[in-house]
Amino acid sequence: MNAVLAILMLLTGAYLVAVLEDWASTGRLRLAGPITSGLALLGRESIVPRQPDRIFFEVAPPLLLVAALLAAAVLPLSPNLIVADLATGALFVNAALAYVMVALLMAGWGPDGAYAMVGGFRFLGQLIAYSMLIVMPITAVAMRAESLFTTEVVESQAALPNAIYQPVGFVAFFVAAMAVAFLPPLDLPTAPGELAGGVMAEYTGWRLAVMRLARAVLVVTLAAAVSVFYLGGWLGPVLPPWAWSAIKTLLVAATMLLAGRYVPRLRETHVLEWGWKIGIPLALLNIFYVGVLLLVV
Amino acid sequence: MISGARQARPNFFRRLVAWAQARELAAFVVSGPEAARAIGVDLEAAGLRASHTPRHASVLVLVGELPPGLKRATAVAYAQMPRPRAILAVGVGDVSLLPKPDVAVGPGQEDVAAGAAELRRLFARSAFSPEASDFDVDAIRTQTEYVCPMHPEVVRSEPGSCPICGMDLVPRGAAGVNNLGAADDAGDGTHHGSMDHGSHEQHDAQDEDHGSHGDTGHGEGEHPTAAHDDREEGWDEGREVADHGHSEHDGHGQGGVSHGEHDHAEHQHTDEGDADAHPDGHGDSEHGAHGEHEGHEHTDHGGHDHGGHEHMDHGDMGFMSMVEMTENLPRSSDGLQMEWVEDVPFGPLFPGLPGGLTLTVTLDGDTVAGAEAEGIEGRASAKDLGGLAETLADRLARLDPLSPIAYRVLALRALESAAGVEPDERMVFARVGALEKERAASHLGWLSLFGRLIGYQWLEDRAGSFQLALVRAASIDEVARLWVEAGRLSRRVEKTPLLRRKLRGVGLLPEEAEPLGPVARAAGVGRDARADEEIYQSLGFESVIREGDDALSRLRVRLTEIEQSLDLVQKAGEMTIPERTLNGVPLREGSATVETPRGAATLHLTPERGALKDLELDEPSARHLGLVGVVAEQQELADVLVGVASLDLSPWGVAR
Repeated sequence: MNAVLAILMLLTGAYLVAVLEDWASTGRLRLAGPITSGLALLGRESIVPRQPDRIFFEVAPPLLLVAALLAAAVLPLSPNLIVADLATGALFVNAALAYVMVALLMAGWGPDGAYAMVGGFRFLGQLIAYSMLIVMPITAVAMRAESLFTTEVVESQAALPNAIYQPVGFVAFFVAAMAVAFLPPLDLPTAPGELAGGVMAEYTGWRLAVMRLARAVLVVTLAAAVSVFYLGGWLGPVLPPWAWSAIKTLLVAATMLLAGRYVPRLRETHVLEWGWKIGIPLALLNIFYVGVLLLVV
Repeated sequence: MISGARQARPNFFRRLVAWAQARELAAFVVSGPEAARAIGVDLEAAGLRASHTPRHASVLVLVGELPPGLKRATAVAYAQMPRPRAILAVGVGDVSLLPKPDVAVGPGQEDVAAGAAELRRLFARSAFSPEASDFDVDAIRTQTEYVCPMHPEVVRSEPGSCPICGMDLVPRGAAGVNNLGAADDAGDGTHHGSMDHGSHEQHDAQDEDHGSHGDTGHGEGEHPTAAHDDREEGWDEGREVADHGHSEHDGHGQGGVSHGEHDHAEHQHTDEGDADAHPDGHGDSEHGAHGEHEGHEHTDHGGHDHGGHEHMDHGDMGFMSMVEMTENLPRSSDGLQMEWVEDVPFGPLFPGLPGGLTLTVTLDGDTVAGAEAEGIEGRASAKDLGGLAETLADRLARLDPLSPIAYRVLALRALESAAGVEPDERMVFARVGALEKERAASHLGWLSLFGRLIGYQWLEDRAGSFQLALVRAASIDEVARLWVEAGRLSRRVEKTPLLRRKLRGVGLLPEEAEPLGPVARAAGVGRDARADEEIYQSLGFESVIREGDDALSRLRVRLTEIEQSLDLVQKAGEMTIPERTLNGVPLREGSATVETPRGAATLHLTPERGALKDLELDEPSARHLGLVGVVAEQQELADVLVGVASLDLSPWGVAR
């Protein structure tokens, strides 16, 4: 029951994210937009390139969806509404997200096209920049909660959400989350103006629909992760817990979607450089800082 | 029925889908959304969302006239669109190669809005039809041959394995069928040609294959034209040098050739022993038999690096290690031997570059090992523009849809110089107003395109709607209002976070490059034809000059020039060019120069018995096009695109 409810919530979230994304890019709010565009895609040809690596080409979109769903499974919407409350929940998020890279690399290699391939390998580079910035902030969050249960991570923030308790970790994780979801300005693998869609360029019809759904679910999952790890998840006055989760998640998702509109895409070299030279030292500092706080305060 | 209906019997679900598709029309615009805005057409307002790739578009929108090269590219783009799909022609006459447009309208906003509505009706009614037919045009069809990656003399018409080494044969486009590489806008090259069939998931083996990876390696590039052959030979020889310890591959025919010559001497000298191991047969089959370049994997068997290997004889070779696979591949400048992806086409309909511009790059990872840019094939050259003096201005104005007024003024001034008459003051002011308005609009169009390329969506949208507002502006008051906005836009862009970091140092030009127009002014050189004109001096004109010579300073120059031009329009007080007739005035030789939005263009006229014969036209984009190779060399792909875009090339400004 929980699982069904959680998936329904997730799909609703993905739907709303699709509406938000459309709004962020066109400036028009069309509530029925995802339905019509989904239907339209289902009715179009889904072309298979002439010399695809068939397995990679076919598996990539569902794998992206599965990776996002797996990560979402350990994130609680309310104290009881969680698909799997694992003892390693916080780390499991990171493990599941690793498959995002695999899926994109497959989508890049599969169609045998230059744009897609460059896009796929760009994401591999991007992973090297962001992966430490996912796992190290989570470490600091888990230190405070003294647990890897995501539910206990939320409860540990009852007095003060992590976004305020450890702002540096919050910023690092937020940016890294945008990189995982390849949202602008970190949309290097898709890069509409540079690679004409990159890893998505070769997908059409229902396969593109799956790819877009997967991306929307991924954005929701990452926004939910930010909300659980840093914004106190379901905690909040008056409204029921699930409503707080939903509100926080959607606000984070909207921020992620809008942020890229006002800045140019980052250069690959800068993503790597800043990820390692600035991001990782800051994340280490954050761990140290949280450690000191826990010992002293 | 729409021309690109999907073959299926309509049922309830399909009708529902067709209804949804009609509401979600995504337009792929030829030659780009900027071209539509330049004639005052707003496709978004007509309900046609812009799509950056034909793969994700359902409507092909044609704007303006299409020269032959662009027509073929458009046909390929159309073939790449998944069905159901339709065509909307906006002010286009001839659309040969393509199916008849489903809706053809004039170039006004109301017409386009009505056309889009009509298209939606058509889509909802007939997106699925049992009688749908294939789109199959000879001009975009290619054939596939299968060659052994190691033995180019092995060419078969069917897949199989090589009789010599047993490797799987890899497909490539057959020589000389046509030059499709340049026409593949989606760049993957894997599905163009006639990829259009009734059934949806199978694809005939009729395409060529650019830029594919995997075990195909190199050697599938197709270069049917003589020019390309030359260049490629240059490359080959250049690469031999690389294996001899040099590590330069500059993608220019001449550079390569000179390396080659140098190499021949050295080659003889350094490895005489290997001379025998250089099978002549290989050489012949490379450039002879098939009349094209194929596979340089074997260009230098037994180069001195691998003297011990002799030349590779794969007679009994089942397995090949990575070392052996790559040993004869060209070395990148970082010394790594990698698989190059050759001839990846960016254009002629690439979303981040001006429509019509073809940038062909050789990728080494995501570094560009070489690049070459070309304008639109089949554009009229200066020689074709001869004829009656009365209509010269009209002919020239049609030459470049990106800056028709500048070319018109150029023609008028050249005629006046030939006739020895001076225009009156009012006419001079009106021309300045029109020219400067066009310059501002052109820079805004560039800004929008640049915003799209660098992924700065706010800038793309803002500059686009600004361009549209300026093109539609009918009075000086409106221009004055826009002038205020231009200042705001400029300051906002300056303050954009990350922008300076992204653009600084990208697209640098060498000392000896002599660019024109804004590109020159961004390098601290005040090369501006306007500075010499009295009229501009009287308006207090001063060239906008910035230091830096990179994409950032070019952006800054154009931003400032938008403001400056709008200010000049206000000072000039008019912005439409009055009619000018020079009937009956005897013409002598004459010439004129106009500072177009991209730099100074010069026209030289030599009348002969009342008609104009030898026209000499010197256009800025022709010079800038030659700089692309230097800008691109050994840069990261994204930087190459930014650098090339910052030059603001007009593919229309080069005769080909």
